[in-house]
Amino acid sequence: MSVTEYDVIIIGAGVAGLTAGAWLSGQGLKVALVTAGEPTACLSTGCIDVCATDDDPLQGIAHLPHEHPFHLVPAGTIRQALDDFQQIMAAMNMPYTGGLENNRRVLSAIGTFKTTCLTPVTMQASPQNENETIHIITFAGLKDFYPGYIISRFKNASFSTYDAGASTTMGIAANFEDDAFLEAFILWLENQHVREDKIAVPAVLGLESAAAIIKQIEYRLERPVFEIPTIPPSMPGRRLFNGLKDHFRRKGGMIYWGWSVVGVEKTGRQIEAVMAESQGRPNSLNARAFILATGSFVGGGLEAKRDTIMEKVFHLPVFMPGEREAWFDQDYFSMNHGIGRAGIAVDSSFRPVGCPWDNIFVCGAILAHTEALKNGCGHGFAIATGQAAAKSCLEHLP
Amino acid sequence: MKYEHCIRCTICVENCPVFRVNPAFPGPKQAGPDAQRFRSNREKSADEWVLLCSQCKRCEMACPCGVEPAQIILRAQQKYGLEHPHSAAHLLFANNYYLSTLGSLTAPLANRFAATKIGKKIFQHMGIATYIPFPKFSFKTLRGTMKSRSRETRKVAFFYGCFINFYRPDIGRKIIRMLQSFKIDVVLPPQWCCGLPALGNGNLALARSFAGKNVASLSNYVDAGYDIVYTCTSCGLCLLHDYQGIMEIPGAKKIAENSYDLHEYVLKLIAEGELKPQFREVNRTLAYHIPCHLRALEIGYPAANLMQLIPGLTCRILDDNCCGLNGSYGFKKVNEVTALQLGGRAVSLIKKTGAEAIVADCGSCRMQLAGLSGMDAFDPAEILCESLGIKDKK
Repeated sequence: MSVTEYDVIIIGAGVAGLTAGAWLSGQGLKVALVTAGEPTACLSTGCIDVCATDDDPLQGIAHLPHEHPFHLVPAGTIRQALDDFQQIMAAMNMPYTGGLENNRRVLSAIGTFKTTCLTPVTMQASPQNENETIHIITFAGLKDFYPGYIISRFKNASFSTYDAGASTTMGIAANFEDDAFLEAFILWLENQHVREDKIAVPAVLGLESAAAIIKQIEYRLERPVFEIPTIPPSMPGRRLFNGLKDHFRRKGGMIYWGWSVVGVEKTGRQIEAVMAESQGRPNSLNARAFILATGSFVGGGLEAKRDTIMEKVFHLPVFMPGEREAWFDQDYFSMNHGIGRAGIAVDSSFRPVGCPWDNIFVCGAILAHTEALKNGCGHGFAIATGQAAAKSCLEHLP
Repeated sequence: MKYEHCIRCTICVENCPVFRVNPAFPGPKQAGPDAQRFRSNREKSADEWVLLCSQCKRCEMACPCGVEPAQIILRAQQKYGLEHPHSAAHLLFANNYYLSTLGSLTAPLANRFAATKIGKKIFQHMGIATYIPFPKFSFKTLRGTMKSRSRETRKVAFFYGCFINFYRPDIGRKIIRMLQSFKIDVVLPPQWCCGLPALGNGNLALARSFAGKNVASLSNYVDAGYDIVYTCTSCGLCLLHDYQGIMEIPGAKKIAENSYDLHEYVLKLIAEGELKPQFREVNRTLAYHIPCHLRALEIGYPAANLMQLIPGLTCRILDDNCCGLNGSYGFKKVNEVTALQLGGRAVSLIKKTGAEAIVADCGSCRMQLAGLSGMDAFDPAEILCESLGIKDKK
């Protein structure tokens, strides 16, 4: 029994789920999104990794193994989905720079470089090699950021420390939303008489106004300023999540928090409703179609048992990379752990292979053969498959 | 209480409003699952900072792993409360129900006293913040004004809650009129404070005594075929979660299974085809501030679904920010700065939407946001009544 009927229900509030939900809402459908908690996107750097195996991300995708789900997304859809994403985030005052023509590099908190495709505008000026001269700002008491790591790799880098009256990324970012705090920070920075070409700051420059804040600092200091992503709590990840979430809402989508799906209602080859855990009556929501975007192991979509791997919502058949011995490589830091290929195998309509129901579509990190770490296909893959699965869903809507 | 399931991802920390502004609070991860490993029943609590948690439950809604940091902290708060003497403010707010009963009986006097300089001085001396005016007691409570009727087949027992009863009986009367206009019979069962204020002030025994009386009373109505409808989201959290959970009241499961948020109930009747309300145009642009405890009820935002049906109404949902008051939390002097900073941020984001007024299900959210912004703040039920042409008649 359900109290509300939707056209489509999305399960999972990550980048893939929010992308699919917003796209379907934009087509005039009534869409709800249910989620057990907040997504791992909040823990990410906020960068949009499309495919990092080649300088040209599209070339990289072309050379992925033939079973990789990226091959199910037409090149036009990949381009369209990423263009849409950039427009959405620009409208949310959190613009992204870069494009599908080539990958770019982002300086990490330990002084290494990460390859990605689109970056938040706050990381636009991130250096592309160790020879650039940078001045790093850190904050008194901030445990999660040591400029020494970067300085040990950069010949021309120095740092200074600002006391922000808070010692956590979240607390400092909240302070930056205050105009008086920002002004005091800028005055202090002007007094440091920075000689280097660029100024680096851990990613704490505000919550929703980061783009405007960095612009103001750049204007006053007359040189590029960029953010360095930190370990979680990661502000760029949170900004990304907030932007996509608000966009989905503005398109008319409804979000149900604390909705851990514990059961489904089905008739014949159709799923009718999903049920959530509740301490009162069972809560259930009806829809004509469902999009599964619950992520992989960390996101909570997959669960590894001793000798099997489960998909937690619909108990769909899961592709497993052989017996348990084949799941892992002897080398801990290897990129070839078989477990990275586990997930849901889908056909060209993004419906699970061997699934007894016709109205489930799957997108994002839960797809089999993704190997996100090895191939560097993260949020970009989620955005592309999110839109592709949504299109297929609309086409096949019962 | 599954603190072992915590993977230390810090998503709860990102969602904690208190952590964001008060460095003295170590955040839900540390105060909850991390510290839980070191707590022992045989040792006296030393972690006074657990009292800084406002119990907004945002950490629980955000946690991807099903850990309940706020619940772990709530239990630590009760243990702390049991072992330490209570401050005047804690005692007063825990007994809010008795205090309000007295306040309503002497409303003309009590309201005037609370607004005087001397009154405010005395409050501050007791550790009570006065940055926003206290809500005004209503001389006529809801309980005192309504008579029950019994003609219709669908019957509702209305758990109106202290805020409506003592401060805003007019909203209560409108809700009753609205339900009656839907051909629903409404009665006001004997009821006491839900117990949440006592729980929030570390007084589990008092909370349990209120809860026990409520469960006994409401249970009779459920047996007689009534649906329980609540409108205060914090009362709802007690009825659904805390009576069965931390308070361990026998028979509470039955109450949880038969209790509905007002808007959830109306939506259900519409979905079942029993009700076709004729919503008329309301030309307003509203900012819908989602109370933390509505999120925590895990029923979605039913009032938002309903307001979508009203022609002419534009309603922007804002659910990222706690208003900061948290019932009696912000009224304590020690939490005043936290409450003001959080309230200020919530108000600035509301003002950015360009909305003409605020709407929120929770009375204390409305009090805080209206007090800090100078804007009007409505209960969603007031907007529904406006659209349905239902007015308050005394």
